[in-house]
Amino acid sequence: MSPAGSRRRILALGGGGFTSSAEDWPLDELTASLTSRPTPRICLLPTASGDPEEQIRRFYAAFEPLGCELSHISLFRLGTHPVNLREHLLSRDVIYVGGGSLLNLLALWRVHGVDALLCEAWQLGVALCGVSAGSMCWFEAGVTRTYGRPSVASGLSLLRGSNSVHYGGDPVRRAAYRSAVAEGIPGGYAVEDGVALLFAGQELVDVVSSRPGARAYRVQLEGGALVERPLEAREIARPPGSPPSAPVSLVEFREAAQRRSRASRNSLRSIPPV
Amino acid sequence: MEAENPLLDDYVLSLARTERPRVCFLPSASGDADHYVVRFYRAFEASRCRPSHVSLFRRDGVPMDVRAHLLAQDVIYVGGGSVLSLLGVWSAHGIDLILREAWESGVILCGVSAGSLCWFAEGITAFHGAARPFTGLGLLPWSNTVHYEAERGRGDEYRRRLAEGMCPGFAAEDGTALHFTGARLHRVVSSHPGARAFRMSRTSGRVVRRTLRAAYLGGDGANALPGRVADRGSPSLRVAPEPAAAAG
Repeated sequence: MSPAGSRRRILALGGGGFTSSAEDWPLDELTASLTSRPTPRICLLPTASGDPEEQIRRFYAAFEPLGCELSHISLFRLGTHPVNLREHLLSRDVIYVGGGSLLNLLALWRVHGVDALLCEAWQLGVALCGVSAGSMCWFEAGVTRTYGRPSVASGLSLLRGSNSVHYGGDPVRRAAYRSAVAEGIPGGYAVEDGVALLFAGQELVDVVSSRPGARAYRVQLEGGALVERPLEAREIARPPGSPPSAPVSLVEFREAAQRRSRASRNSLRSIPPV
Repeated sequence: MEAENPLLDDYVLSLARTERPRVCFLPSASGDADHYVVRFYRAFEASRCRPSHVSLFRRDGVPMDVRAHLLAQDVIYVGGGSVLSLLGVWSAHGIDLILREAWESGVILCGVSAGSLCWFAEGITAFHGAARPFTGLGLLPWSNTVHYEAERGRGDEYRRRLAEGMCPGFAAEDGTALHFTGARLHRVVSSHPGARAFRMSRTSGRVVRRTLRAAYLGGDGANALPGRVADRGSPSLRVAPEPAAAAG
């Protein structure tokens, strides 16, 4: 891979992570480790769900113990919490896009110019990460279930190919993705909950799973036939009940980082009534 | 949906002229904020109407025919928030076209703040900080700004844009509602005594502001307001800025 390509990293989660399951905390650790900075600056974009307070709370609860400097941007609350979008997004180490509706996500980003900013951030080496709609958005196309019925929606096309999430747990979505690829959308990656794909530039460099047996698949047309091949996944699940552990010095360092994080968070976090 | 002041809500329901009108809330401009949906159901109780809402963000997995649902309403109420986000999400879902269809078939469209701005051809929004122009659905061939007087920057920007050629239109203060029949302003009503609206236009290069007196809905004879009631079946639309909602 080219040096420039290797700086452009995207971590695409098929489901799970902080928004859904405590057992997925290894995925949150993986997200925080996308940068070598001791105190990763991570910004959440909860746009796809309409900036719900619950998702924002879970984000802070999951990443605070990891010693990160946290923020979030609510596009629906810019009136009361103005943010310089470009300045803030380009100065992060990781941008984390929450799940929700892929259709709404892309529509809102375009209206606010966030699509171009994310492309710029990626090119500058800010790691992009996301779950569900926040995973599919980086690809050329994904499968959205905004009205319950699955349908194909386009993404930002930073990554070539298509992506379908929640692959194991959602048979209707799975069928919709397979038939969409059979009918001509670019082939791509089908990913189950708890599995994450790491891309460096356009190259898939790692497949990790926080749930035993959870997988991802390469789905494409070969000679007119739909082929689904499992991808080798590296399990990063810990034994049940084992807490995250860190050396004492690191714990102290993280406590200090959390205090800083709290201070920075207070400027962005409070959610006023509409 | 003003706190402790149901006057504008009552007025909207009275326009439907049916026992328990079907009222559907579209909270899209707020990202379908839960607390806003709750406030709607409190304001539009099931005892006096048949309330529902359509969420474009909160999916419950049940496929819904949004078009059929919206076309079956007596009133569609659009909540406040970001008008840019509102129009972006509506366009992605084709809601803009459905609302035009609903309006043409006689459904009463109404909304507050961003839910007022959206019906006009263009206007001024200050939701994202500095006041700036936007392009709306254009059901009404006028311009609009809300929270007028309460936020100085809007008025200044509105006058500047009018001078530069923005189409004439209406500025409304908090608590004032503009009631349109077709594209024509039918009546101005308010939930606060003294609340005003303004007709804004440009004449021989100068921006002219004409005050429109609003009929206060809370006084004696509130049920015997002057003015013609909208003909049943004709497109009717009413827009109401109110202080409790976010800036448009």
